[in-house]
Amino acid sequence: MTAPVQPDFADSDIESVLREELACGDAVVQTIAPILKHFLGSGGNALFTDDVMAGIRGMAGDVAQQLLEALAAASGNAGHSEPNIADKETLTGLLIESPDFLSHLHALAIEWQLTQRLQTRLALDPILQPMVQDMMASADPALSALAMRILAAQVRFCQAQRRMKLPLGELPGDLLHGALLALRDFSGEAASATAAAAEARLRQRYDEGNSRVGLMSQLLVGIGGRAVSALSVTHAGTAMFITALSLSTGQNRDLIALSTNDSQIARLALALRASGLKQQEVEEQFIALHPDIALPPLFDQLSPDRAAAILASAGYTVRM
Amino acid sequence: MAVQLEATAGAVTDGDDRLVSAAEPLAKLQRACGGEIPGTIAIPVLLETVRKARRYELKLARSIAAQTASESITAWVEVEPRDDGLPGCAIHLRNWLVTDLPVESVETGDARREDIDRQLAELTALLDPAQGLLAVEAQAPDLQELANAMNAGLGRNWAEFVEIEGVRRDQAMHWRLLNGASLRAPGSNRTWRVRLFPRGLPGAEPIGFELVLTSDEPLPKPAPVRDQSIEAHAARGLIGREVAPVLRQPIARIIANAETIRTRLAGPLSDEYSNYAADIAAAGQHLLGLLDDLSDLEVVEAEDFSTAPDRIDLADVSRRAAGILGVRARENGIVIVAPQLGEELRAIAEFRRVLQVLLNLLGNAVRYSPADSQVWIRLEDEGSRARVIIADQGPGLNENDQKRIFEKFERLGRSGDGGSGLGLYISRKLARSMGGELSVESAPGQGARFILDLPADLLSPREADRR
Repeated sequence: MTAPVQPDFADSDIESVLREELACGDAVVQTIAPILKHFLGSGGNALFTDDVMAGIRGMAGDVAQQLLEALAAASGNAGHSEPNIADKETLTGLLIESPDFLSHLHALAIEWQLTQRLQTRLALDPILQPMVQDMMASADPALSALAMRILAAQVRFCQAQRRMKLPLGELPGDLLHGALLALRDFSGEAASATAAAAEARLRQRYDEGNSRVGLMSQLLVGIGGRAVSALSVTHAGTAMFITALSLSTGQNRDLIALSTNDSQIARLALALRASGLKQQEVEEQFIALHPDIALPPLFDQLSPDRAAAILASAGYTVRM
Repeated sequence: MAVQLEATAGAVTDGDDRLVSAAEPLAKLQRACGGEIPGTIAIPVLLETVRKARRYELKLARSIAAQTASESITAWVEVEPRDDGLPGCAIHLRNWLVTDLPVESVETGDARREDIDRQLAELTALLDPAQGLLAVEAQAPDLQELANAMNAGLGRNWAEFVEIEGVRRDQAMHWRLLNGASLRAPGSNRTWRVRLFPRGLPGAEPIGFELVLTSDEPLPKPAPVRDQSIEAHAARGLIGREVAPVLRQPIARIIANAETIRTRLAGPLSDEYSNYAADIAAAGQHLLGLLDDLSDLEVVEAEDFSTAPDRIDLADVSRRAAGILGVRARENGIVIVAPQLGEELRAIAEFRRVLQVLLNLLGNAVRYSPADSQVWIRLEDEGSRARVIIADQGPGLNENDQKRIFEKFERLGRSGDGGSGLGLYISRKLARSMGGELSVESAPGQGARFILDLPADLLSPREADRR
């Protein structure tokens, strides 16, 4: 924010530098109010509550920590000492340079927030939902085994969220790639051989299909038409609901997670309609997620295709 | 519908994200999407996932959705970088789910076809109620002649300017009957399709028409700019480019499976079946060899075939060839006598081509020599020429056979021994392309001497010392 003022500048130069600095400062001052308004937003459902912010900071730091540990392991110093705090901060800074990475962490925090809220309000268990329970009881051994793995993954997710952590294996492939590029940036020229070894090991160990979202998507794709039942948040649980809605609308899962927020009801209504839910079914979802908001009458008249078209024409659309 | 944890279909891609091989149903979808095998992946979501997995070197797992003309397909794909060291990815598919696309109502379908025709129109004309021309506009270069003629004859019936299939020129036709007809236009080699859209209130008598001509054939490109990589591919010809890559993998799989059966890896088996499996494996090997020979044949017969001459040591190449075939020779009880270490004979030729020729000659010698015999590799320095001689103690060749033996597909009456009859033909072509010659000296019962004659490297240090 404060560029050092060179002493050999002429007077007019100093003036213009100061003016520029002042203009930058003005811009910051002007944005304080809207940002503060967001932060202080009413209710426990805001996009920037303290716990959401803390969660994002925690997860970013945890990803950085794991990357540094991998680096240490590659150079043979595993477990000897905690990574340097300054290093961790530098790497975290590099990681959050990526907007996609930040949005993903934010979406996870929002998902966790919603999971907790539904537990309080509807006594919806964060881990064991009727849908997964049905699948676990299935006569098909493959299906029940997959459901068990999902259950275990969801347990790990809840634990990690409480600890504000995020295992590298849970990152989507694109984001892990981005994180590894950040690690490359961080280690620079100096330690290139160890860094390359650490990176290669992380890439090799990764399997997107074993991540929580990967397992859930796999189940939903596998049960075909029955996946529609996952579009009920009370039946499928938050995580499965978000995954199913993302698959059925072809929208990025992070964006769907965000659309459960109060400020995004139109996006949620359209996504549900685009997935083919009828008025009453959409209303049921709204009763669960936004009990104080009523759906406009004759919402049914909007065809699923139109709903999808409106969604697609929105300014912020991220394809999966 | 059950969840499948086992992959049902697999596919392999190369470093340019082309499908090298693919099992059904992926292969069918690839073709339905307009792709080929081998060819770049034509399914957009799959291409994106494969490209990422290859670039990131990460194992990715995603759901994909694709559409053909009548079906909508979803599947779960797992894509991982290949573990055989080659660039590209292995694709595993699960839960292939096909649903029929909802049938479109006739009206929507018609409306869309109308839109598409208008979008693709290469000639549009405005007609009066009697189908007389009011205005003409052509986009395609090969329709300019027709458009000029029509513009010169505004007011006349448009059908007078073209030849409509199955319609005489003076025949008056109701517009509905002309809709969809094919026609030929002066100056164009393409077949055109007629679409007539009535103007005015639907149901009422039309107040005019909009005439649209479209063609299913693209305008032939005048002189296509040729891509070097395509050219390189084309030079490899039909077999090397098209057939060999497709056949190699299934044949390799046949061989591998037959070997599994032969060696009874999957369980006990009677000797007869094990022997059959050995026959299958041998036949597969033969097919692979034939494929290689045919690909080579195409290469050496291509007009632009040339070798890359280099300074090589024939003694070194000979020792390597002997080393490669040594095991097979010992299995047959044959000893290959290669030039001693320290011997040297410098020549100008391409290393791998000379090696290929020597492997072929040695292979033949090993194959046709009796057990407990010897095969000699001798070097001769003839001043400006350098020679490698491969001599065996086989049955030898009469004069007639010596003439025929370098001909294409010549087997000298042999069959069933794994040869293709191409090896010597290709070898002689290779020798000649390096400014050399391949010849044979033999008499029945006296063994055969194959002589590879190449230009000597007169500037090599050793030669220079001697002078």
